[in-house]
Amino acid sequence: MLDIQDSIPTADHDDPISSDPRTFAAKVNSWVPHDIVLKDAWFPLAHSTSVGTKPVRRAIYSQPFFLWRESGQPVASEFHPAEGLSASKSEYSDAQGRYPVMEKYGFVWGWFGNPANAAPQHLPDIPYLPEEGGVPEHMIGTVRFDCCAPLSLENLIDLTHADFLHADVVGDEKMDKETVEVFHDSETITMVRTCVNKSVAPVMKWFGGVRSDVQQVRQVIRIYLRSHVAMAYGRFSPGDNVQLFHPCVPETRDRTRLDYVMNTTNVKKRNPFRYIMPTASYKVSRQDSSMTSPQSPRYMRPEARKDLHSPLDEAGQKYRVLMLALAERQARGDFEYRDDVSADCSELIGYDGT
Amino acid sequence: MTEAVWWAVARSEEISKDKPVNVDIGDQPIVLWRDSDGIVRALEDRCPHRRAPLSLGCVLGSGMIQCGYHGWTFDGANGQLVDIPNLKSERKFPPVYRARAFGVTESGGFIRVCLDAKTPQPAPAEETLPLSGTENVALDHDQYINALFDDPALVIGIRGVRFSPYLMAELKEQDGRLVLERSCQWASPHWPAPFSSDFPITLKISTDPASGESDLLLRDDQFNPLLRATLAPVPGARGVTQVRWRAKLEAKRPGLMAKAMGLGDPLTVHSHVDGAALRVQKPSASIHAVELRKEIAARTERQETAA
Ligand code: FES
Ligand SMILES: [Fe+2]
Repeated sequence: MLDIQDSIPTADHDDPISSDPRTFAAKVNSWVPHDIVLKDAWFPLAHSTSVGTKPVRRAIYSQPFFLWRESGQPVASEFHPAEGLSASKSEYSDAQGRYPVMEKYGFVWGWFGNPANAAPQHLPDIPYLPEEGGVPEHMIGTVRFDCCAPLSLENLIDLTHADFLHADVVGDEKMDKETVEVFHDSETITMVRTCVNKSVAPVMKWFGGVRSDVQQVRQVIRIYLRSHVAMAYGRFSPGDNVQLFHPCVPETRDRTRLDYVMNTTNVKKRNPFRYIMPTASYKVSRQDSSMTSPQSPRYMRPEARKDLHSPLDEAGQKYRVLMLALAERQARGDFEYRDDVSADCSELIGYDGT
Repeated sequence: MTEAVWWAVARSEEISKDKPVNVDIGDQPIVLWRDSDGIVRALEDRCPHRRAPLSLGCVLGSGMIQCGYHGWTFDGANGQLVDIPNLKSERKFPPVYRARAFGVTESGGFIRVCLDAKTPQPAPAEETLPLSGTENVALDHDQYINALFDDPALVIGIRGVRFSPYLMAELKEQDGRLVLERSCQWASPHWPAPFSSDFPITLKISTDPASGESDLLLRDDQFNPLLRATLAPVPGARGVTQVRWRAKLEAKRPGLMAKAMGLGDPLTVHSHVDGAALRVQKPSASIHAVELRKEIAARTERQETAA
């Protein structure tokens, strides 16, 4: 039977970002990231190398995910094998308490949402990670943030913060020109930042053999909204390109887990940058945390005072609006993917295999 | 109640041009620093851009404060945004682009901040007492003041002095302040306080009813002042009381015990309160204090509405 509910989701396929600046601003400023819980998405729960025959415990919004392998194949279960099936089984797992699970790019991904909607094509495309995994162990790691995942991603997509917070790693704000372009669809947002004659990144100067004082930089941040994962791809000239996979898994609504891959296999084996850059995550993440940790409680409840914005915040503002649009659609019962997150995005991020 | 009060949120020596400092008045976080002229500035410790604490940023050579997150730069005098470095352009920002600014005054070695800009400034102090310190005590502001009234030993110590339970003058209002005078003994062998006919020293406490800021005066029985101090408790986050104090030991102190006060720290302000002792301390002076503080607050409010 066709009722009114069924007809709503197909009604509007407009751009979720309104062209009316006032509507847009109202959305941006109604941002309470702790209230957003998106469903029907693949989350990278663990590095493949962390999952063996002994179960490990992960969480998405406090929902337990136990991961282990049976005959080499990953299993994701709501219950620990020692616990058995519990009467309080959620609707996110099947009759056996199992979640849909995939293994790709060196991660075990679990599906959070309606198991019937799980499909491989909803798994994000990450062009610079080998599909079968196998990136050297020293290029992967885990860091944690005591902030909510969308704040962590909003932090990432606004790269002006790096010039201040991470100046000692990636260089300060001094440059001749900076442009920011933002692309989006209903499931992704991509920010491209181009810097002309930017102060060279100290980590490249000290460890990467870059001798000049300035660099031409093109940095891309691409976020897959539902999965809360981001790519950070930087092209540096002179210098090596930086290929970071930066998931922000919401273990709870205000704690974030980042199982990262800093893929420096593109850097020559005798260049120390190949080994130093992945360890920079430990330093950089503490710098980010120094800001996102005090930010998080300040975004937990609706706030009467509006945040102030600069023209450089376009990406962050659009990220907020796109997340809210998804949340609103899901609140209406519409979980459909209107855009294909598994489509090859190499061209968009400017990745040419290096 | 916290609004119209000039709170002593820092000692002069705690605030510099080098690094901004976070303090709070109740739940209101505040950042303090000195600008290039050495004037202390106070803004809400919350950047209006993405709510990061400004105290994590830095003070620029211009005396402006720069947020450590994205570099937004503010003028401490009025909170106005003056620069977003990445914009690479000279531009004026509309007046709404500002952080909340608070009034600040500095006098007598204390930096005072008021959340309500209309509140008249306190009269400047005549003197800066040389000894000073800061403690954070896990006891709320009202209880801290009550403890000081009922048994000063719960919150402070004076070298060689024992506070007795007996008062020379009970707590009453004098020129808008709460004043009491407590009999004290030297910590040398002597008759126990309940059987003493006379006490050699007294401690006079004069407290501002709104802020709890208290002037302490220790005198001997010949009215020679021995020690003067100011204790400034400020309500902080999570019910913690931040206590800043300054003190001066008088140069001329007749008597052996009084002279011995100079052999170490004459005044200590405790960083911890002994919960076991506090719980069983019977309220006495504080019963009057609570009533008087309420009465004075109501009176002030009536005067304000009339004006
Ligand atoms: S939060 Fe202060 S500049 Fe962005
Ligand atoms: Fe960062």
